[in-house]
Amino acid sequence: MFSALKKKLFGESNESKETAKSRLHFVLVQDRTGLTNEEMAGFREEMVKVIERYFVIDKEGFDIKYHRLADTTTLLINSPVIVRRSSTAAAAAARAATSQEPANTETPTPEPVASNV
Amino acid sequence: MNTRSNSAGKKELGEVIVITSGKGGVGKTTTTASLGAALALRGQRVLVIDADIGLRNLDVILGLENRIVFNLVDVAKKLCKPGQAIIKSKKSPNLFLLPASQTDDKDVVDEAEVRFVLDQFRREFHYILVDSPAGIEQGFRNACAGADSAIVVTTPEVSAIRDADRVVGLLSSKGIEARLIINRIDFEMVRRGDMLSVKDVQDILGIEIIGVVERDEDIIKAANVGEPVVYNQKSKAGPAFTRIASRLCGEPIPIPSFDGGSLWSRITRKLGVNA
Repeated sequence: MFSALKKKLFGESNESKETAKSRLHFVLVQDRTGLTNEEMAGFREEMVKVIERYFVIDKEGFDIKYHRLADTTTLLINSPVIVRRSSTAAAAAARAATSQEPANTETPTPEPVASNV
Repeated sequence: MNTRSNSAGKKELGEVIVITSGKGGVGKTTTTASLGAALALRGQRVLVIDADIGLRNLDVILGLENRIVFNLVDVAKKLCKPGQAIIKSKKSPNLFLLPASQTDDKDVVDEAEVRFVLDQFRREFHYILVDSPAGIEQGFRNACAGADSAIVVTTPEVSAIRDADRVVGLLSSKGIEARLIINRIDFEMVRRGDMLSVKDVQDILGIEIIGVVERDEDIIKAANVGEPVVYNQKSKAGPAFTRIASRLCGEPIPIPSFDGGSLWSRITRKLGVNA
C-alpha cells in the first residue's frame, strides 16, 4: 500500500514486472501471430508509415498487441497521435498512396516526427 | 462440507480434467495430487491419472510408490483389468491413483487408447484428473484426449506464462476450455512490483482464473512425506487447493488477490493513487 503511495509521490519506480510485461507482450505477439521477428518489424514499420501519412504520431508509444479473449482474437494497434497532418498534406499522401506509379519518393511525409509537438 | 456430493453422486459420467502447463516444474503434479485429495475430502470419488509415461511422479507425491503393480499402459493394452491397476490412497477412501508406466516411451499409447482407459473409469468416479507431462508433443496430446476441460498451471514468470499461452491456444484449437491456476505467487514481491500480479497474468492470458496458490515451503515438506498439502490446513497452499476444489464443484468463492482487490487498494484507487 505504501509502495503505491511512494510510486505516486516519487514517480514510477524501476519495477522489474513492467519489464516482464513488455517482454511477454513481445513474445506472445510473435507466438500468437506466428510471424517472425523480421515480419513483425516489417508489419510495424508499414503500419507506422500508413498512419504517418495522416497523423503525426509518437513513434515511441506505438504498440501492437494481439489480444486473445475467450473466443475472439483482436489486433490492437495503439498509436498516440500528436497532431493531425494538414488536410493538403494528408490529401497528397492519400493520392500518393493510391497512385499506381512506382515508389513515389516525393511523398510529403516529413521524416522527423518527434519535433512536432 | 460435502453438500454437493449427493447431487454429484447422481452424475452418470465423471468429469475428466487435464492438468497441464507446457513448461515443466511449475507444479502440475502437486496440483493434481492436491486437487484430487481436496475433492476426495469433499466426498467426491476421484481418480488421478499419471499420464507422464516414462517419468512418473504422481505416485511419490501421493506416497503410493511401493504399491504399484499395474499401470496406465497395462490398462490401455488390456494386459490387466482396469480395477487391478488403480491404487487406493492411504489417506482417503475416495482417492485413487492410476500410475504411469516408468519403462515405456510417451508414444507407446495413442489418443484412442487413452480414451479407452478413461471410458473404463468414467462411471466409477465423479472426477478424473489427468496429470499431463510437460511439453506439447505426443504425451500432451494423449493427456488431453477425452478431457472435458483443462486446468493450466503457471507461475507468475515470463517463461511459464509464455508456455501457458501456447498451451491455452492448443487446447482452444481442440475445443477444450481452459482455466488457470497461478502457482507460487509471492504477494510481497507483487507489492514491491517485482512479480506479475494476478490481474497482470489474467490480462495477458485472458482466461478464467480458478485459483491462486502462494509460494509455500509446506509443499516441499508434503512432497517429502508423500502426503498432499491439503491435509495440512495450517499451510498457505493447503487451503488454497481446498478452495480451488470448492470452485470446481461450483461454489462461488472469490479469488484472493492481494494486489488489486484488497480494501486498502480499493481506497487508494479511489484517492487516485495508482495502486
